[in-house]
Amino acid sequence: MNKIIKIYEEDSMTAEERLASVVRLEQPDRVPLSLFIYHYAPVFLKSSMRNYINDTSEYMRVSRQLYEELGPWDIYYNTNPYSRFIYSTLLMMRLLYPGKELDEDKVPLIDEIQYMNEDDYDWVIKMPRLFNIAFFRARMLPRFCREAEGLGFIRTILRMWNHAVRQILYSRKDMQWWKERGLVVQIGMNPEMPFDTFSMARDVIHFSMDIMRNPLKVRDAALSLSESFADEAIIISRLMGVPRVQCFCHRTSNSFISPKQFEELAFPSMEIIVNRLVKAGITPILHCDGDWLKNLKVMRRLPAGKCIIQLDGLTDIFKAKEEIGDHMCIFGDVPASMLAASSPQAVDEYCHRLIEEVGRGGGFILGAGCEIPTNAKEENMRAMIRSVYRYGYYSLKKTERSVA
Amino acid sequence: MTSDVFSRFKHLYLTFDIDAIEAETEHLLQVGVLSKDLLSECQTYMKIIGDKFESGEYFLAELVVAGELFKRTSMIMKAKSDYQNTERIGAIVLGTPKGDIHNLGKDIFAILAEASGFEVHDLGVDVPPEKFIRKIEETGAPIVGFSCLLTTTFNAIEDVVKMLEGNGMRKNVKIIIGGGSTTRDLIDILRVDEQTWDAFEGVRIAKRFMGIQV
Repeated sequence: MNKIIKIYEEDSMTAEERLASVVRLEQPDRVPLSLFIYHYAPVFLKSSMRNYINDTSEYMRVSRQLYEELGPWDIYYNTNPYSRFIYSTLLMMRLLYPGKELDEDKVPLIDEIQYMNEDDYDWVIKMPRLFNIAFFRARMLPRFCREAEGLGFIRTILRMWNHAVRQILYSRKDMQWWKERGLVVQIGMNPEMPFDTFSMARDVIHFSMDIMRNPLKVRDAALSLSESFADEAIIISRLMGVPRVQCFCHRTSNSFISPKQFEELAFPSMEIIVNRLVKAGITPILHCDGDWLKNLKVMRRLPAGKCIIQLDGLTDIFKAKEEIGDHMCIFGDVPASMLAASSPQAVDEYCHRLIEEVGRGGGFILGAGCEIPTNAKEENMRAMIRSVYRYGYYSLKKTERSVA
Repeated sequence: MTSDVFSRFKHLYLTFDIDAIEAETEHLLQVGVLSKDLLSECQTYMKIIGDKFESGEYFLAELVVAGELFKRTSMIMKAKSDYQNTERIGAIVLGTPKGDIHNLGKDIFAILAEASGFEVHDLGVDVPPEKFIRKIEETGAPIVGFSCLLTTTFNAIEDVVKMLEGNGMRKNVKIIIGGGSTTRDLIDILRVDEQTWDAFEGVRIAKRFMGIQV
């Protein structure tokens, strides 16, 4: 019989059970906490960013040390790529790395360049659909990814699968340490959604023109990739042994497109992907950057009690609770600016409010609005981490737990 | 200048016809339209588009394409000798501070500010504090704008504020911050004057700084 590991002594659920409960929109024993600490860890521990990013064993050492010093929390937010090549393959964006294009202590940055042409929409639409996402990636990668420059189509495909296998082996090894400490691993795969990929690949100006001049072509190209996108995500997440796929939706918010454009152009492919994942027993985590409030009514068409929506602070999370809190688990959203520049009292108060209002009745994961900023203050991080213990137990509501 | 002269130009502009706008701009300048009159027309159209953006009818895509229309027309106008005589309502020093290389929000704000009559000194991305100070000193700009998608820009902003306080210029310069990583509470924390997530609101604030009723 497996030993049951609790995060806190007072817990009556494991982290895995707690996460499953909030996805089902049920009330768990306590509000779970997930921290996106990827770039924060080496800065906090004053380790070399270059080594951390480029050396998987250094990543494991540093991220684990951070957990030992700041933890505990419930969910391991595993976004660590095995290589820049596989990172580029999933995000489909040019990445600038410390020790390569950037100074050794710099955080990796996304360099948005136009690498997709208008004709590529037609190419995508005409392609046979079986595994066309892999062919699309292989066609695009040599245009923006340094590690794919000069590779032909076949060699790019082979390298993609080579690095995918290495990623899976490395991730499985890495996640074991976290599981042994009682955490649940968040992500089985984390790709950028097809519609959002086009926005990045065309750049904002050209993509804006595309959705005004040829909107149906953009929609149809995203639809063309959606089935194989889901196939790929299902296969990879199963091989990872984590039944959750985090889909990055960087450019589908009302900060970029109208609710009508969302419904008519972006949502059809999103709906296919989400339904396919849910049918396969996988929980989609929709990583929704920007303001999504006016899209939420349409998103109610996605299966109830099966998805997580992660908000980054630009969507009013309290209104989102009213709009979709009875339909999707909400994840968020302590603002990066608050963690970097405010006081621990302000962080404590905000987390308390999130727990009380967005966490009411369950269906809520406390997290930062996207990534923990590298300049987050330690005392603010501790206030956020402490808040789920202090205010997050549902059986102790209204009676604040005293903490040392 | 009769409005009939601009009827096709207006139609192209307000239907976002990016492919035809440059030829029409060239045509109007060739038939004797002055740059300042054409600029004034563009400003009127940008206001119409801005109002629709603020009312929720238009979104970023329309704003981005409108910005591109303005950029393309103003590039042609700038080549004409009379363009230099167009009046400016004030100068803005603008940039993404050191620690961030994102430029989308900054570029949109720059175009809208220019379309509203400001002279914009865009320093680009990853700009060190000293470069902001040098440009403020050189131009005497009464407004400085910081575009921030990442919190890693905050140190550079604080440094600029300290330098402006140190050299006695702070009282003459209004500071606005904008972008996804900014919130209202940063006004006090970073000791700046205003914050926005919206480029149009940013321009309105800049006009208010200049004492213009909006």
